[in-house]
Amino acid sequence: MGADANRGQLAAALVRVAAGDRNALRIIYQDTSAKLFGICLRILRDRSQAEDVLQDVYVTVWRKAATFDPERASPITWMVAIARNRAIDRLRSSAVSRRMEPIEAADAVSDPGPTAVERVELAQQRQRLAECLEELEARHAAAIRAAFLDGATYEELATRANVPLGTMKSWIRRGLLKLRACLEA
Amino acid sequence: MSDEHSIGPADSGRILAAEYVLGVLDAAERREVERRLALEPALASEVAFWEERLGGLADAVAAVSPPANAWPRIEAALGTAGAARPASMWQSLAFWRGFAIGSATLAAASIAALAYIGLVPASRSPLMATLTGSAGQPNFVAAVTATGNGLVVVPASLLTNDPRAIELWLIPPGPAQRPHSLGLIQPGQPIRLTIPPDLVDRLTPDATLAVSLEPPGGSPTGLPTGPVIASGKLTGL
Repeated sequence: MGADANRGQLAAALVRVAAGDRNALRIIYQDTSAKLFGICLRILRDRSQAEDVLQDVYVTVWRKAATFDPERASPITWMVAIARNRAIDRLRSSAVSRRMEPIEAADAVSDPGPTAVERVELAQQRQRLAECLEELEARHAAAIRAAFLDGATYEELATRANVPLGTMKSWIRRGLLKLRACLEA
Repeated sequence: MSDEHSIGPADSGRILAAEYVLGVLDAAERREVERRLALEPALASEVAFWEERLGGLADAVAAVSPPANAWPRIEAALGTAGAARPASMWQSLAFWRGFAIGSATLAAASIAALAYIGLVPASRSPLMATLTGSAGQPNFVAAVTATGNGLVVVPASLLTNDPRAIELWLIPPGPAQRPHSLGLIQPGQPIRLTIPPDLVDRLTPDATLAVSLEPPGGSPTGLPTGPVIASGKLTGL
């Protein structure tokens, strides 16, 4: 299945969801739940909490399908953003502090090998992101990756990298500005 | 702080949007960004930029199948969720100037008008759909013509100042059916569309009609590419 076909089918299913079609939501769930559950699990590190958040994510997709604008976002990116936001909100509201791993270790697990069919979407854009991250200082890029994947706060990231908080903020902010300039170039 | 001396005020909005998407803000800061998103289109557009561009990083996360009981739980939760859908983006942007007309009154008036202009026989119960927005307000009324191969669409609200084309879609009942374009419709006037021959027998009760906003000339892909602003099922009256 080509990237456009997959994207088109998900977008079409979202149209049906907006019209109140539960079967369409089930189809979307079948296509995307493993990816979104993986994202929730990575951020929360707790199966039971990740399951709660996953439920919340698809209820949100059901409620907000009519606001999805395919001119501005791809369907999978839109759903990934919902999953990450819900998982990060749950994480922030949870009193339990997470075990912290050095950023290098987290980075090693996150090496993107070729995975499932979802990856075909937006191949060019992702290629560009990879190239632009390459242009950053390695530790800045690693901090940005770790922040995105784990939903970690500046403080957690600073602890993990064993640098002062101000230094971590500076790494990430400068990295983001440079990244933005590169992505727009 | 000297660490931040190179970041000027012009960059602070961009930084904040990126920090929000990246997930490094604390709960209070996140709520503050979300409050501002509804009010500041520039910030919202910046957040959309980062969500789209950083989204690819999620490819690095291994997919994990959720437990088999996850879907039944979600489906059960929809029962209570479906009734109270929040206002969607396009409403808050005041795309519509709704007529102050109730949906029942509107449907009755539309049928009377259609019967008057001879498109539906007054003697037969026509197949109709009221296409509502996500808050339940009627935006279009559609009726299958007596011949069965035409569809009359009457706008019930006015679209204001949106340059996008308005495209009508037919979605047959049943799982995994894709939308079929029925053509472009007008924001301010009734229109009669001829249904393509291969779709005529799909104008059945429970088929869904949906309206989306598209680039001028209509969807370039053959599938809806813009936001769905109204939808409804065909039913016999």
